[in-house]
Amino acid sequence: MLRQIFIVSALNFKSLTSRFWQSMVIVVGLAATIGVMLSMLSLSAGMQQAYFNAGDPGRAIVVSKGADNENQSNITRAMAPLIADAPGIAKDKDGKPLADRGLNVGVPVLRKDGSKGQTTMRGLADKGLGVRPELHIVAGRMFQPGKREMIVGVGAQTMYQHMQIGDKVILPDGEWPIVGVFATGDLLDGQLVGDTETLLAAMHKTVYSTMLVRLASKDSLDTFKKALTTNPALSVTVERHSDWYKRVANQNTFGLALLGYIVGAVMAIGALFGCLNTMYSAVSTRGREIATLRALGYGAFPVAVSVILEAVLLSATGAVIGAGLAWVLYDGKQDVFGGMVFHLSVSRAQFELGVIWAIAVALLGGILPSIRAARRPVVEALRAT
Amino acid sequence: MKYLPLVWTAVMRTPMRTILTLLSVTVAFTLFGLMIGLNATFDLVADRARADRIFTEPRFGGIADNGMPIAIARKIAAMPGVKVVTAVNFVPGYVQDPKHPVFLVMLDGNAEKVVEDWPISPQVWSALRNDRTGIVMSKSQAQRWHKKVGDTFTMISKAVRRADGQNSWTFKLIAIGDDIAEQTNGYVFGNYDYIDKAKPVADQGKVNEIDLLANDPATAPELAQRIDRAFANSATPLQTTTDKMARSGKDFGGLDVKAITHGIALAGMFMVLFLTGNGIAESVRERFAEFATLKTIGFSDRSVTVMVVLEAALPCVLGGALGVGIAALLARQLPGLMPPGFGLPLPTVSPLVMVWAAVSAFAVALLSAALPILRLTRMDIATALSGRT
Repeated sequence: MLRQIFIVSALNFKSLTSRFWQSMVIVVGLAATIGVMLSMLSLSAGMQQAYFNAGDPGRAIVVSKGADNENQSNITRAMAPLIADAPGIAKDKDGKPLADRGLNVGVPVLRKDGSKGQTTMRGLADKGLGVRPELHIVAGRMFQPGKREMIVGVGAQTMYQHMQIGDKVILPDGEWPIVGVFATGDLLDGQLVGDTETLLAAMHKTVYSTMLVRLASKDSLDTFKKALTTNPALSVTVERHSDWYKRVANQNTFGLALLGYIVGAVMAIGALFGCLNTMYSAVSTRGREIATLRALGYGAFPVAVSVILEAVLLSATGAVIGAGLAWVLYDGKQDVFGGMVFHLSVSRAQFELGVIWAIAVALLGGILPSIRAARRPVVEALRAT
Repeated sequence: MKYLPLVWTAVMRTPMRTILTLLSVTVAFTLFGLMIGLNATFDLVADRARADRIFTEPRFGGIADNGMPIAIARKIAAMPGVKVVTAVNFVPGYVQDPKHPVFLVMLDGNAEKVVEDWPISPQVWSALRNDRTGIVMSKSQAQRWHKKVGDTFTMISKAVRRADGQNSWTFKLIAIGDDIAEQTNGYVFGNYDYIDKAKPVADQGKVNEIDLLANDPATAPELAQRIDRAFANSATPLQTTTDKMARSGKDFGGLDVKAITHGIALAGMFMVLFLTGNGIAESVRERFAEFATLKTIGFSDRSVTVMVVLEAALPCVLGGALGVGIAALLARQLPGLMPPGFGLPLPTVSPLVMVWAAVSAFAVALLSAALPILRLTRMDIATALSGRT
């Protein structure tokens, strides 16, 4: 049986060249479908990656109860030391807990194309770098605590105007010079960072946004969480940093991803009809050849399988071309969406997803023609011109 | 017209091929209609954006802040060139579960003059003023919450608390208004005065946004800058923009909507071009001898060309019309599929969208018929008739 399938399919593929343009309908259809879908998904996937990179499982984030994002959260000055002194937090060299009082402020920016956008200005306090060791300066210098200075992420620098070293950021108490450029490899790259306490004073605010702590070990989250949630003086939510960003990422990229899948699905339906069309005409073109094989004693099943295999091969080729195009055009390109700077991503997982979609289309589009090929009476097919 | 029976026979020679091609073209044009329709909506919103309307909000922070003092609204009202000012408060929250977010906008008595182009009648505005807990919803929002006029609407807001510390708010739906293209998530609005007085004293007298009309649309951009400058060194610096400036006609959170939608529509067209091109080429190849016969009995190259173009155009035009029709029906459903607050506007399948679809359908038909026609006009009749092609 396998041998028969192999022989019939080999014969099939050999005759593909004579049906080149007809076969291209499937290849082009799937290339367009998967190319468009993966190009769109590169947005949500890239954003997700920026969030995931920021979420370190060795950290925990503390927000006020009910806050779904950092901007909504309020941690008062009275709460901060209670959180920092809780058990389960790693200690710095000086023996103090690695807990950072963070601040998130929305700030308007001008994108490179001149349109208005928004980004986040983040405050880091004394333990900021201890908690976020991934933040490193790539140009200029770090801001000095207590001084009205700011550093800018590499992504923000390329996507927004007026973000060079020496440029000034206008805050309520005056202009803050940008003194350095930093990189983290995550969503912070699209943001501005300054000293929490100085920023608070400048913004006329009295509360922090969040507390970010480095856990003593990955397993000490429960200890830390229990200490905070049983403390009646606190009304906070504690989450592992990686879990927090997983949730935020899903919340903020779901819509874009869904849009990509909807467009992909609609195009796939169009490609499916094209695939059906091509396979039906392939089966009728090869009617005699198939009938001859059947007359020689080849079974109906190997003939049917060979038709489906042809559809799968052509579709998968199309998917690889489409995914390849999406990868060449978009993978790694820096983009901005809704206040976030990130790199578009066409990953291996998406490549596979594209090929799986294409195979699904091929199976749906190949089955009916394959049944026709297998069931056509041999004598009738041999007589047909 | 006299060719129609001939074309029809040709098309119906292989009904399966015709139907599958038609279906594929229909799907591609459904996508085309939705994508170009989305563009049409962005253009419509940009066109309708008023040059004299100005929005101002705190430059830093978000809606989690309590807002800025209402005194700012009074100071702006006193600035030269300002016609009328309205104070706006936001009540972000959810119904029953955080998974069902809702966003209320609370407007004061001047709102009627500032958003005079909204589809809200003077009767509804005055009814709202007479019912402190009254709210008005857009049709889409009323549908989403299954509410009709007279129903109560209860929501939870973590950000806005009542004076007694509770965070559940109950309103009465007094009217349902038509949706507006620029309010992509629909709208729910109520009385600023009510929400302000219901809050703890410390939170009262705050606003999230101030909207105003300029006396002269021409000087509105300058007025916006003047407002920003006047408050630049205050405790609440402002970020002010005109309605016109805020709606460029293509910007969706930084994405170039035009480029994306055109790309998708084009990919769909490319896909069907291959399909129809192949179909027509195959059909002509199969009937080569027939065409030779036609030419022998006196059909000119022109008539044969017309026949092939018509044969190619039939599924394109019919599929285009069907696809755009389906797009018009689906357009209403699309925002409902998106998560609440995503802000994707309703695609508008406007006459212009239909014109573009028709142009594209003909272009696809002509392109796919081009090569077969070339072959037919250059054919050697005797060879073709003998079947030795």
